[in-house]
This record gives sequence, C-alpha cells and structure tokens, in this order.
Amino acid sequence: MDSLVSPQLLAAAMITGVLYALISLGLNLVYGTMRLLNVAHGDLVMIGAYVAFIAFSLLNIGPLVSMFGAALICGSLGWLSYKCVFQRLLSNGQLLSRLEENSLLLFFALSVIIQNLAILFFSADRKGYEYLSAIVEIGDVRLTGARLTVLIVGAVISAAVVFFLRFSLFGLAMNALIQNRDASAIVGINVDRVQMSSLIFGFGITGLAGALISMMEPITPVMGFPYTMSAFVIIILGGLGNLWGGFLAGLLLGVLEVYGVALTGPEWRSVLVYGIFVLILIFRPQGLLGSGKTAR
Amino acid sequence: MIKHLIIKTFVILGMFGMAYSAQAADPVKIGFSIPKTGMFASAGPSQLNAYLLWQDLVNAKGGLDIGGKGRRKIEFVQYDDKSNPAQAAKIYEKLITNDKVDLVVAPWGTPHHFAVAPVVERHKFPLVGNTAASVALRKVKPGYLWFTSSMMPDNVAKAMTAMLKSRGVKSVAILYNLLPFASENIQFLKPALAKAGIKIHFEAKYPPDIKDMTGMLIKVKAKNPDAVLVHSYPGDSILYMNQAREVGINAKTQYVMVGPAIGFFRGMFKSNLDGIITMGSWAPGMKGATGSQKFYTAYKKKFKGHEPDYLDTVEVYASVQILEQAIAKVGLNREKIRNAINTMTFKTIYGDVKFNGVQNGSTPSSFTQIQKGKIEVVWPKSRATAPLADKGAWAN
Amino acid sequence: MKNSLKLVLAVVLCMFLAGVAGFADEYILGIGFTIFMYIALAQSWVVLSGLTGYISLGHVVFFGSGAYVFILIWGLVPVWLGVVFSGIVVGLVSLIVGYPVLRVRGPYFVILSFGLAELVKNLVLINEARMYVSMRPVFGAPALYQLYIAMLLLAIIATGLTYWIRRSRFGAGLRSIREDEGAAETIGVPVAKLKLLAFAISGVIPAMVGAIFIMRSGIFQSGDAFTPIVSFTMVTMAIIGGSDDAPGPFLGVVFLVLLQELLWVNWPEVYMIILGILLLGFVLFIPNGIYGWLSEKYFGNKKNVT
Repeated sequence: MDSLVSPQLLAAAMITGVLYALISLGLNLVYGTMRLLNVAHGDLVMIGAYVAFIAFSLLNIGPLVSMFGAALICGSLGWLSYKCVFQRLLSNGQLLSRLEENSLLLFFALSVIIQNLAILFFSADRKGYEYLSAIVEIGDVRLTGARLTVLIVGAVISAAVVFFLRFSLFGLAMNALIQNRDASAIVGINVDRVQMSSLIFGFGITGLAGALISMMEPITPVMGFPYTMSAFVIIILGGLGNLWGGFLAGLLLGVLEVYGVALTGPEWRSVLVYGIFVLILIFRPQGLLGSGKTAR
Repeated sequence: MIKHLIIKTFVILGMFGMAYSAQAADPVKIGFSIPKTGMFASAGPSQLNAYLLWQDLVNAKGGLDIGGKGRRKIEFVQYDDKSNPAQAAKIYEKLITNDKVDLVVAPWGTPHHFAVAPVVERHKFPLVGNTAASVALRKVKPGYLWFTSSMMPDNVAKAMTAMLKSRGVKSVAILYNLLPFASENIQFLKPALAKAGIKIHFEAKYPPDIKDMTGMLIKVKAKNPDAVLVHSYPGDSILYMNQAREVGINAKTQYVMVGPAIGFFRGMFKSNLDGIITMGSWAPGMKGATGSQKFYTAYKKKFKGHEPDYLDTVEVYASVQILEQAIAKVGLNREKIRNAINTMTFKTIYGDVKFNGVQNGSTPSSFTQIQKGKIEVVWPKSRATAPLADKGAWAN
Repeated sequence: MKNSLKLVLAVVLCMFLAGVAGFADEYILGIGFTIFMYIALAQSWVVLSGLTGYISLGHVVFFGSGAYVFILIWGLVPVWLGVVFSGIVVGLVSLIVGYPVLRVRGPYFVILSFGLAELVKNLVLINEARMYVSMRPVFGAPALYQLYIAMLLLAIIATGLTYWIRRSRFGAGLRSIREDEGAAETIGVPVAKLKLLAFAISGVIPAMVGAIFIMRSGIFQSGDAFTPIVSFTMVTMAIIGGSDDAPGPFLGVVFLVLLQELLWVNWPEVYMIILGILLLGFVLFIPNGIYGWLSEKYFGNKKNVT
C-alpha cells in the first residue's frame, strides 16, 4: 500500500508520538518515581490549556511564550500539593503501606476539585482560538504551523528533560530513589527534596504540554481524561520510572496509532491501544525497556 | 363632589390593580436538569443559555401569558444531573414531587430524555423535548413527551442524499465517529445513497478518542470523491479541519456534522470554514421563522457579543416557544397544555411546527453552510437563506 | 452486642426498608435505590480488593458487562431471570479472564484493572457500531418500587456475603494473601484459586446491579455503562467507610449519599469540591475509614489495615 510510505504519514506519526512522549514524561516523574497514581495528570494538561487560552485571548500572548507560564503555574501546584497532601502520605508509615490506593484517592480528589474549580471559573462550554493554523510546507509534507511547532518544541523539550535527568546530579538522585528509597536516604540524598522536585517538575512539564495542545483541541474542563489514560499506557510500555523508555514508548504509540490503524482500520484504534496495554501488563509488566526490577 | 368621586374611583381601581398584580406576581415554577459537571458539561451551556434567554425575554414582557388572563413571571428550578441519565430521572422526580414545579422543560441529550420519559408519563407532565434525535424516539408512545428535533437520522439521510444529487455528486467518502448518533446516521445514509446511485468510494469509522486522521484522509484523497461527509463531534471535527488542509482534501462538497455551528469553532478556523456544510435548521433572516431577529439580537446582547450555538441553542429556544404559546392559549392546566401541544400549530424560529405523534412533523431536515463567515441555511431550498455554494480552496 | 441481637436488628431494619417501598414518594425511593446500589457495589469490591489487597480500579467492567448482557437478552426472557443470568454469565467469564489478569501484582494490577475496563468499553462500542445500534432504550421496565426492592435484596446479599466470607476460612485465606502472598503460598494456601474465586464473586453482584440499573436509567450506552466514575465512586465509598469488614462500606455509602443529597441540592457546583476535600481529609487522617475509626474508639480494636 503505497500510502503507507508517504512522508505525510510519517510526519503525523512523529507528531503524535512526540506529543505522547511529552505528556507521559510528567507522569513518569510522578508515578514512575514515587508510585503516586496520578489520575489528575490529564487535569494538569487542562490547566495548561486554559492558561494558554487566557493568555492569548486576554493578553494576546501566544502559547509559545505562555507555555512557560503554564509550566510555572502547574509547577507551583505541584509544590502546593506536595506540601499540603503528599508529604504526609510519603512519610507516614501506615499510609505508605497502601501507597497506590491512597495516592489514587488523593489524586482523584484533587482531580475532582480541579475540574470543578475550572467549571466554576471558566464555565463548562468549549473554548478555542486560532494560532498558527496556516499550513506550512516542508518538502512533501504539509503541516499546520501549530502541529509543526508541537513537533519541534515537544521534541526539544522532551529530549532536554531526559538528558538533564540522565546526566545531572538531580537526575541521579531521582534514579537512586527509584531503585531503593531507604538506601538513598542512607547515602545522604535528601529524599524529601527530591520527591518534592519530582512533583514540581512532573506537574510543570505537563502544564507546558497542555499549553501546546491548546492550539489543536477544544478546551473544556473535562478534556484531561484521555491524556491521563494515554500517559499511563505509555509509561507502562516504556517501563515505570524509565524516562528514556517512556520517550521511546510515546513515539512507538504514535507510530502504532497512525500506522497500525492504517492496517487494521481506524475503529480499532482504542482496542489496539488498550489491548496492547493489557497484554504488556500481563506478560511483561516491566515494559519493553524495563529491566525487570520493580522496586518499592 | 364629582372630583372626589373620580379620585375615589381611581383609588379603588388602583387598589384592585395592585391586589390583582400581587396575585399575578406568583411566578410560574419551571423545573429542569442540566449537565453542569461530567462528560457532557461542555454541551450544557448551549441549552442553559437558551432557557435563560427565554426567561429574560418573557419576563421583560411581564411574564408568561396565562391563557389570556394575565401574566406571571418564570422562575426556574434547576439542578445539575452530572451528565448521568439516572440522575436526571431522579431530579425530575424531585422537581415534580418535592419542589412541586408547575411545569418542566427538557434535559440535555437523547439518553436523558429517555430516562426522564417514564417520570413525566407517570405524573402527567407535558414535556417538549429538544436536544434529542434518534429513530428510537418513535418507540415512545404518544403521551406527554414530544421531540422538536428535525434531525431524525432517517430523514437526515434522505435530505442529504437529495442535496448531494442536486449538486451532481456521484461519489462520496464517509468518515464517522463510533458514537451513537453518528453511527445511526450512517445506518440510514448508506442505503439512501445506494438507492440514488451515489457510490461510496471510501468508508471508515473511528473511536471518539482518535488523535490522528492522516492515514484515513490520505486514502480519501487518493479516491478523490466528489463529496466528503464527516460525521463527527467537535473534538474530531477540529481534527478533520486541520488535517484535511494538511493532506489537501479539495472536494467541492464537504460536510462536518457537529462543530461549525458552535461559536468557538468558528473562532478557531475563521475563513477556513467557508464552504463547509453542517447540521442546522436556522439562520438569522430565515423566511417563515418567528421571533428570529429578536432571539438573535437579544442573545448577542445578553452573552457579550457571542454567537448562539446554531444547532442546540436554536432548537431549545424553539421548544420553549412552543410551550409558551400553548400556555398562552389554554393556561396552566397540564391536560389542556398536552392537548394543545398535540393539536396546535406553533410559530417558532424553526418556522411553523406541528407535531405528528411525538415527532416534529413540519420542520424538514436541513443543512447550513458557512459562507463568508456567516451561517446560511442552504437546504432545503424552501428554507434557504442563501444558495448552496461550492467549497473553494482552503484559506490557508 | 450479642450476635443474635445484632441479627434481629438487621432483619428488622431490612423489613422496614422494604416496607418503605409501600408508602414513600419516588424521590425517597430514588435515594434508597442509589444507597442500596452502592452498598452492593462497595461490598462486592471489598470481597476482592479489601480482603486480598488487589486493588481494582476498573470494577465498573463487571457493572457494564452485566448491563450489556442483560440488554442483549431483554425481552427474550422474564426480567428477573435475565438479571440473574447476567450475573452468572459475567461470573463465568471473569473466571476465565481472571486467570491471566490475577497473575499481575501490586501497582500493576491496579492500572491493569483500569485498562481492562477501558478495553471492554471500546469492544462493546465497536460491537454496537457494527450492528448499527446507536443506543438501546428500555421500554416497559418494572416500576421503581420493584427495582428498589430488587436493589435492596442485592445490597443485603452483598453485605451478608462480605460478612460471612470475612469470617470464613476462605476469607482468612484471602487476607493472608493481602498480608504476604509469597508466605501464604509457601505454607500451602491455594493462592491462585482463592484469588480467582474472589475475583469472580466480586463481579457477579455488580453485574446484576448493572442490569437493574439499566432498567432504571431507561437506556444503555457503552460510554455511560462503563464510565470510570462508577469505579472510583465504589472505591471511595468503600475506603471512606472502611474496607476491611462489612459495616464499613455500609457506613461509607450512607454517609456519602446523604451528604450528596444535602450538598448538591443547595450548593451544586461547590458540592463536588467539598466532596473532594472530604476525600483528601479522610485518606490522610482517617485511613481506616469511618468503621475503622469507630471500632478503634469504641470497640478497642486496633485495626491496622496493611
């Protein structure tokens, strides 16, 4: 089928993949490292989208600038959540023994609060704006300016974050935490500080992704859920806590979505995604790139 | 002496007047539920705005005309049904038995209408439905529920086929969302097209959470059909509008089911939307419509210059015009209102509406097209505010 | 309190609740219906997740599947037979599905259950679309008071089941899995069999609840029937009430439903936010739920639900 080798399709796969990778990064930092089941992940995307929308419609600031504002706001939210909620969860022995369920409920509560605050403040109806919607031609590939921007910005930021966390001291500390929390404390890592930073970082990146997404989608208080689901699928595929794995898994999922459905028919898209998710969890829960150690 | 008499008369008349208006000041309580939270929350405002606008316009006149015997203002009793049909049923039970409302108006969405149907039947409360369209609705026994919608999927299919034929379309590509209303439309569209000899060169369905249509659209482009019919909801409609431009779909007839009629959508695509056909039965200035201009100007004034949703808001408004006129004829007795709705012909912004059983028997399935940034009714020709145009090249 | 006295009180309570159907208005019946529904759901959830520690976030999959099976045979069999049949079918299927699914441990099981629910939801969606069915309305369903009684029955059965399992050898085996699955296996507990049984049992009643619920809402749509909100609500009520024993979910459900009725009537937008804040508070400060807290204070049991 010669349409399968079209560069347009490849570009679409790359963009979808990069977006997925960017979105899942934040979750990997929160769930992958601290096992906090962040079901409010998509709501951070939503917050970022609203920040970008307001910045554009009220202040005429484009999302390429406001995305940093979105990152800042969401990052602060991460700090706030840590101080008020999760610090207690992670330091209380009894709560820690049921970490997943408790974190799930806490994040679920946060999700409910965030969504309803958004409904209160912004009203529930759909919002959108036009930005970089003109088509840009690069060789054989035609993309809206917005999608091209997402591709470039998404790739740059994802790569930057992954490399930063790979090679920086902070990144090493986080890795240590993933491997063995108690041992990390013993070797002098400030566990509390690293955890807090992970939350801030994770939330912030997700907010930034939300600002980018706001160019391409209707903005509503309930827009976040599909992103939460996709992010979970991706970080499982890539191996929990494995940022590089998450990045590749995101790309893989994009390829799967765009090319896979070209083979099976688009209606199978969701079944394909969740089906693979379920299969991986049953047969290889450490993910495609995980190494089999799942620490607690 | 006569002066005193006259003054006394006026004073007495004045007191009667005041006593009378004090009685007439009892508002009419009208109840409904609306999705304020949950997955349909984003569709709620289109409907709520119509109800609120209607309340404003009616109360500005002094209230509802109660059978010619004076006016009473409208007071709403509304609850959030959380996008959950069972919750809507509960709410209507509460409205009727606890809050003791005088009348009810419709919730949002086909499932909610179904959930509420047994409740209004049981308590004999007439309900003029609005945002509901499915052939399954015909199975509802005529009783206390009517459906204002003109978009019954089988009628839409016939109208669409006729419209395509009138443009000389010989081949189509059909893309559709797996969600109920879109799927139901396709169920009737395919045989209708076959009967008219229009060939389907490509057909694909996709799940609601689809993120990329490029693969499908490349195949559509390769087949080069005369018309591309996309049965989508706002999220995927946006996807289509962006990716169809990227892939370069230049068919002269393009239909995007839900989205272009909503204000925010037009703000996102501006002149790229010109030539796109969508669902809709109304445009300002349509012949035969009653209260059109008033609705349009008042809406823009009340909602800060925003355009109404030409699909949902308009239909909801038509449904309450019907209720208003029924009350004006027979007063607040619910049995009389029911008979009135069954028999009268109503003058609404949809044009004249008379119910045939539970269905709107008068308003034909219609389509609108965006031309130069404005929405015009283009089909059927009897309602058109502008002729059907080709879709030109994309703006950018 | 002597056990026999407790039993008598329970029976009296049930008879009273059943009698309510005779004279209460529809609004009250509606609230009762919701309370019983969530009691049945939360109790069933406890049988699996409370006792074995395999936290299921996708329990709505049983609810929705039961509703789907039921609607497919609607009109072909007597109503109540259909309800029971749905439960049995879902129970049997979950024995098959459960086998690979339960091999997954800990946090992975949690998100697996979630993904499973989404997978089934999409499969049903595709199936419906293939049959060109857009939605399935339910005409001629039994009256509300009958559905109320049916749901009451399910709530009683579910509560009884949880109560009895908790005190049985089966329950002891389940709890040993929660404490330390490896150790339990070592000393000879048939871990795989017990898990599977708990999984299937915890699904049968939600399936029947789903079937009855569809009759109440008058329509079946895949997205509604498999909504994750049901899963989360179940879990919330069980954990707020206390997930270790039967009185827990009962308390949690009653508390939350009454709170909901109070709040959403008066402060609709804000009620969800208040609910969220409450949930935060409970998880952080009252981790054993209402029942756990009560039993520590008044019955002197140190319930450390680990």
